[in-house]
Amino acid sequence: MSRHVFRDIRGTLQPFWVTLRNLFRKPVTVQYPEQKQQLPERYRARLILTRDPDGGERCVACHLCSAACPVDCISMQATEAADGRRYAAWFRINFTRCIFCGLCTEACPTKAIQVTADFELAGRDPLKLVYEKVDLLVDHCGNDNSYNFYHQTGIGVTAPRGENPQETKPMDVKDLMP
Amino acid sequence: MADTLFTVVLILAKLALIFGVVLFMAAYLVLAERKILGRMQLRYGPNRVGPFGLMQPLADVIKLLTKEDFLPARADKWLFLVAPGITAVTALLVFAVVPFGPTIEVFGRTIPAAVVDLNVGVLYFLGVSSMAVYGVVLGGWASCSKYSLLGSVRGLSQMVSYELSLGLSLVPVIMMARSFSLHDIVMAQASVPFLLLNPVACFVFLICILAESNRIPFDLPEAENELVGGFHTEYSGMRFGLFFVGEYINLVVLGSLMTVFFLGGWHGPWLPPVVWFLIKVLMVCGLFIWIRACLPRLRYDQLMNLGWKVLLPVSLLNILVTGAVLLGLGL
Amino acid sequence: MVTLTIDNQTVTVPAGTTVLEAAQKLGIVVPHLCYHKELGAVGSCRMCAVMIHKGTLTGLKMSCLIAVEEGMVVTTTDERSMALREQVGEWLMLNHPHDCPVCDEGGECQLQEMTIAVGHGRRRYTGKKHTYPNQDLGPFIAQEMNRCIHCYRCARTYKDYCGGRDFGVMGSRNRVTFGRFADGMLQSDFSGNLIDFCPTGVFTDRTFRFTSRFWDLQEADSVCSHCGVGCAVIPGGRLHQLQRVRSGTNAAVNGSFLCDRGRFGFDYGRHPERPRRARRDGQEVAVDVALEALMSDARALIDAEGPEAVLLLGSERASLESNWLLQRLAKELGCRVPVLSPHARRHQAAQAVAFDLSHQLASLADVRTADVAVVFGVDPLAEAPLLALALRQIVRQGGRVVVCDPRPVELPFAFEHQPLSPLALHELLGGGDMDGKHLRDLLRQAKQPVLVAGADLLGTAGLRHVHSLAQRIATDDRACPIYPVLAGANSFGAALLSLPEQDDLMTRLEGDHVRMMICLETDPLVEGPDGKPLGERLARLEKLVVFDYLPTAVAARADTFIPTCPPVEASGTFINSEGRLRRFERVLAPGASLAHKEDGAHPPRAFFLTQPDSEPLPAPRLLQRLLGGETSLAQIQAEMVMDRPRLAALPQLKAGEEGERVAATVARALPEEKLPEQPAGTLQLVVSPARYGSDLLSRYARQLTPRLTTACVYLHPEDAERHGVQEGDRVDLDTRFGRFTLPLALSETLARGCALVENSAALPEPIPGSGISFCRIGRGGANG
Ligand code: SF4
Ligand code: SF4
Ligand code: SF4
Ligand code: SF4
Ligand code: FES
Repeated sequence: MSRHVFRDIRGTLQPFWVTLRNLFRKPVTVQYPEQKQQLPERYRARLILTRDPDGGERCVACHLCSAACPVDCISMQATEAADGRRYAAWFRINFTRCIFCGLCTEACPTKAIQVTADFELAGRDPLKLVYEKVDLLVDHCGNDNSYNFYHQTGIGVTAPRGENPQETKPMDVKDLMP
Repeated sequence: MADTLFTVVLILAKLALIFGVVLFMAAYLVLAERKILGRMQLRYGPNRVGPFGLMQPLADVIKLLTKEDFLPARADKWLFLVAPGITAVTALLVFAVVPFGPTIEVFGRTIPAAVVDLNVGVLYFLGVSSMAVYGVVLGGWASCSKYSLLGSVRGLSQMVSYELSLGLSLVPVIMMARSFSLHDIVMAQASVPFLLLNPVACFVFLICILAESNRIPFDLPEAENELVGGFHTEYSGMRFGLFFVGEYINLVVLGSLMTVFFLGGWHGPWLPPVVWFLIKVLMVCGLFIWIRACLPRLRYDQLMNLGWKVLLPVSLLNILVTGAVLLGLGL
Repeated sequence: MVTLTIDNQTVTVPAGTTVLEAAQKLGIVVPHLCYHKELGAVGSCRMCAVMIHKGTLTGLKMSCLIAVEEGMVVTTTDERSMALREQVGEWLMLNHPHDCPVCDEGGECQLQEMTIAVGHGRRRYTGKKHTYPNQDLGPFIAQEMNRCIHCYRCARTYKDYCGGRDFGVMGSRNRVTFGRFADGMLQSDFSGNLIDFCPTGVFTDRTFRFTSRFWDLQEADSVCSHCGVGCAVIPGGRLHQLQRVRSGTNAAVNGSFLCDRGRFGFDYGRHPERPRRARRDGQEVAVDVALEALMSDARALIDAEGPEAVLLLGSERASLESNWLLQRLAKELGCRVPVLSPHARRHQAAQAVAFDLSHQLASLADVRTADVAVVFGVDPLAEAPLLALALRQIVRQGGRVVVCDPRPVELPFAFEHQPLSPLALHELLGGGDMDGKHLRDLLRQAKQPVLVAGADLLGTAGLRHVHSLAQRIATDDRACPIYPVLAGANSFGAALLSLPEQDDLMTRLEGDHVRMMICLETDPLVEGPDGKPLGERLARLEKLVVFDYLPTAVAARADTFIPTCPPVEASGTFINSEGRLRRFERVLAPGASLAHKEDGAHPPRAFFLTQPDSEPLPAPRLLQRLLGGETSLAQIQAEMVMDRPRLAALPQLKAGEEGERVAATVARALPEEKLPEQPAGTLQLVVSPARYGSDLLSRYARQLTPRLTTACVYLHPEDAERHGVQEGDRVDLDTRFGRFTLPLALSETLARGCALVENSAALPEPIPGSGISFCRIGRGGANG
C-alpha cells in the first residue's frame, strides 16, 4: 500500500491542475445548429428504400430487415405483381423507435434498405416519424449502382426462366435421352 | 413596545434580506457550477437562455414548476410531500445564526449582522444541521422504492459517521474562541484566522461539511449510476427542485460557516466586511465545485473507514493537542 | 430393446429403430432431408451420414437406413462424416436458385436449416444452374421446381401415403421433376400435405402466398373443427388475421397429415360478413347491455310463464365448456335443460357412441395399424377424410378394407365396395345374410380387426348392431374396436353432456309455451333436419337470441345477436369421434384485420387503446358473464370434472398433446327400433355430405370455393332406366323434405334402389343423418 502513497497523492492532486488548466482553454463543443459538423461517410441515420439499376423497386418484402431489427420498428406486407415479382404492398418504419443501428441494411439481401446521413428527424408529432413506403422509396440506387437481386436469382421474374447469365434453359422433362 | 416592534421589524428585514440573498446565491451557484464544470471539461455549459445562459436558473424554475408532480402509487403521501421541505428549510434555518458582518449601530442600538446572535450558535448549528438528514431519510423512505430507500439509508449512516467528527473538529475552535457564539468566534479571529492556527481542525471540518452536503466525493445517497437517483429517485417537478435547491442553500450555509469558523469571517483589509464575507463564502463554494470536477465518488467502505478510522481519531487528537498548547501557552 | 452408443452416450431403443431416430432420442440431430418420421427413409439425399465404428456394417453410412444393433458404436461428429455432410449440402445447393428472400418457405425451410447445420456457406461452383419448368397446380399449391433437391418426399407423401394418382415423378436423369402430367388442380383431397412435407420451397401454400413469414406468425396448438376426427392443427396469423393452417402432430389421430378441407377451409372466421357487434332489435349495442337485457327478458318470461318459456339450444360446434355452461345457465334461470344439438337423430347416434360404445372405441391410430377394416355406412372422404388415409395404411401394409355403403364410395386405395342400400345395410347388420357371413369370416381371421361405423347413416339402431357384431368378433386375446364417424367437431362432447332421454328440438317447440329461444353457435335452420317447420316456428317466438361467429340465416333473424369467437380466437375443448379430449388454444385475439395487400395500403396511422372490432368474446366468457362472475377456463374445467366424472382427464389436458380419452361407461338398455317399410315405387333417399361445403364452417370458408361441387341426383343406371330418366335430365325428387329439381347423374357403383343427393352449399337441404326415408323420382316438370 505504502508503495502507492505518492502515486495516490499525485493522482488526487493532478485533476485539480488539469481542470484548472482546462478552465482557460477553448471548449471543443460544436455549436449545433449554428455550426454544422462534417459527418463521416458511413454515418447511419434515416433509412431509405432504393431501386435497382433498371428502376424496379429493390425491396422484395422478405421481412429479413424486420427480423433483424432489434427494436422491431419495421413492418410490411408482401404482395405479388402480375409478373410474379414480390414486393411490399406497404412498408413502414417507425423512426420514433429506430435506433439507427443499421442491422436492417446488413440483413437486406437485395440492398434495398440503406442508411443516409440525414439525422435531423426530431419533431413534436410522433406519427410524423412513422414513415410509409412513399416516404421511404427513393428514385436512385443508393450506394450500389449495379446490383439487381433478380439477376442473381433464378425463378424467372425479370428475365424468363433459365435466362439469367448463370443458368441453363429449363429442362425438357419429357426428354428421354440418356 | 416600540422597542419590541422595532426588533421584530428588524428581524423580519434581516430575514428577508438573508432569504433573498441566499436563494439568489443558491440559484446562481447552480448555474456557476454547471458553467465551471463545463469549462473544466472543455464544454460551454448552459449558454442558450439569455446572455451567457444567465437566465438559465429562471428557465429551470419554470421547467420544474410546470412539470408533473408525480406521487408514486404506494408512497407514504404526507412524508413524501414534506421531505423536500425539510431539506430546504433546515438549510435556511442554520443561517439564522451566521454573522455576516460586525455589529452595526443604528439609531443608537447595536445590531448584530445576523438574524440572531445566539450565545450557543455552534450548538444550534450542530443541532439544526443534523436535522437536515431527515429530508433525505424521510424522502427515501416515503418513496417506497428500493433505490430511494438504499439512498436514504446511506445518507443516514454517512451523517452519523461524519456528524461526530464535525462536532469534534469545532471543539478546538470553541476552545480557542472561548465562546459558543459565532459572533465571538469571528471576533477571535480578528488578527489571525483559525485556518492558520489550527489547520488540522479546518481540514477535518472541510471534509465533514463535504460529506454533510452529500456532494462529490461523498454523494453516495444519490449515486445516480448505482441508485438511479438515490433518495430523490421518485421525485419530480418542484419537489425535486426543493431537494436540489436545498443542496445549494446548504452549500452557501456551509461555506459561510467555514468562513466563520476558520477563515476569519468578515475580517479583511480595505474592503467592507460584508464583501469580504461574501468573497470568502464564494471561494469555499468554488472549492466545492472544483472538487466536484476532480474527484471520483468514494466507495462505501472507504467512506466509513475515512470517517471512523481517520477523521475521528485525528480530531480527538487535535483537541488534545490544542488543549495542551493552550494550556502550555497559558491562555 | 437394443442398446448402442452414439457420440459416447448409450441409448436403448426398440429393435428396428434406425440410427438416426436413436440419435434423435438422445437429442442429437443428424442433418437429414429425405427422412421423415411419417414417411420413413429412402436414403436419397445422402445428408445423414454418420460413422459406424462397430456393427455389421462399419464406415460412413446413412444413418436413416441403418437399423440399430446391440453394441453398435456410432459417432456423428467425426471429421469424415462432417466433411461428407458439408459436401452433400454444397452439391444440393448447386442448382438452387438462391431466392430465399422471395420464397415462402424461407424461415421454416428444412433445406435452409440443414445447409446451415452442415456448415455450407460459400458457393464455390461457377458452372451454370439447371432450371425446370413450373406447373400450375391450382389454387392451393404453388410450385417452384428450381428449388427441388430431389428428396422424393412429395411423391412419397402424395402417392404413397395419401394415395393421390395425379402426381408423381417425371423424367429421367437430372431432368427429374415432380408434378402432374399436365397443368391443373391437384385432385387428391390431401394435396395440402405437400406443403408440410416438401422440405424446400417447391410446394408452398398458394392461399398463404407472400402473406407472412413464419417467424412473424402467431401460432398455437389447435384442433380442426371441420369434422369429428379432430386433427391437430397449428393455425397461424398476423395483424389480427388468420392466415394459414399447418398440420400439428398427434400420433393417435392424424399423425402429421391434414385433409384439404381442414387446411384450406380455415377462413370462415374472416368472412367479410362475419357479425362482430352485438345487436338488439336491429340496433348495435354494447355486448354487456345485450347480455343484461337478454337475461332480464329470460327471467321475466320464466317468472310469468314458467320454465318452459325459455329454450336453450347448444351445438356440436360449440366447445365442451360452452355447452356445459349453457346447462349451468339453464339451472340458473330455472328453465328446462338445454337441447345440445339441433339435429336430434345425429345427437342420439352420438349418444349411442358416447355411452353405449364407449368402452370399445378405436382411435385413428388403431385403424392405421389394423389388418382388416370393415366400414359400415361411411364415405370416408366426405365424412372423415383422415379416416380414408388411415384405411389406406391398412391396405399399404397388406390388409383388407371392405366398405358397405350405398354411396359410390371412392377411396385412394384398392378396397372392396359392397353397395348396400340403407335398408339392406340395416338388415345385414341386424340379421346377417350371406354377405354378413363372408364379412364375419374375414373379421374372425383378422389379427387386428377394426369396424368403422357411420353414425349418420346407421343411426342409433345401426350403431348398436355394429356394437354387438364387434362383441361377437372380439375374443379374449383380440379386441375388435369400433371407430365411429360423427359429424361435428364436438358431437361426442355435446352427446356426453346431455341427458340420454332428451326430447328433440321440434318436440320441445310443439305448442306455444316456448316464447324465447337462445341458440349457442348453431344455425338450427340448416344444421338440423327440420329447417322449414322450424323456420315457421321461430317466426312465432317472442325473442330469438343467437350467439355465433358466422353470418348464419338464424343470426340474421335474431332479435338479440351476440358475437362469439371461432376456435382460433378462443381456448376450449372438443371431444372427437373417438372420445378423445382435444384442447385448442387461442391463436389470435379477435379484431379487424390490419393485413392489407392492396398496393399502397397500410395499417391505420392512429393509436388505439382497443383494437377495432374486438368486441367478440369467446362463448364461455359470455356465458359466465350471464351467470355473473368470470373465472378462468381452468376453474370451469375443474367444476366440470366434479359435475361429470367421465371428464376426469380434462384439467391435465394440454393443447398439442395426444389428449386422453373420456372414461368409458356402461351401455344403456334401449328399445329396438323398427325399420320403416318401403312404399312401392319409391327409392330410398340417401343424403350424403359433399366433401366440401356440407359442414357449416366450410360453407363459409371461401377459399374452398374451387372445390365445391354442383348439386345433382345420382341413380344407378338400372334404376334410371326403370324410372325412365336419363343422365343429364332435370328430375324432380319428392322427399319428405320437399321437392328438389336437380340434374341427374348416373353411377354404376351406387346401390340399387337408392337416390343419392349431396348436401352442400349448392343444396343446403336435405340434411344428412336424418334417418331412412323414401322418395319418388320423375322427369322435371311432371306431377307427383
Ligand atoms: S437501423 Fe436498426 S433499429 Fe433502425 S430500422 Fe434498422 S435495424 Fe431497426
Ligand atoms: S430486407 Fe431488404 S428486401 Fe427484405 S424486406 Fe427488408 S428492405 Fe425489403
Ligand atoms: S419437390 Fe420437394 S419434396 Fe419433392 S423431391 Fe423436390 S424437394 Fe423433395
Ligand atoms: S379430417 Fe376432419 S378434422 Fe382432420 S383436417 Fe380434415 S376436416 Fe379437419
Ligand atoms: S435422410 Fe438419410 S439419406 Fe436422406
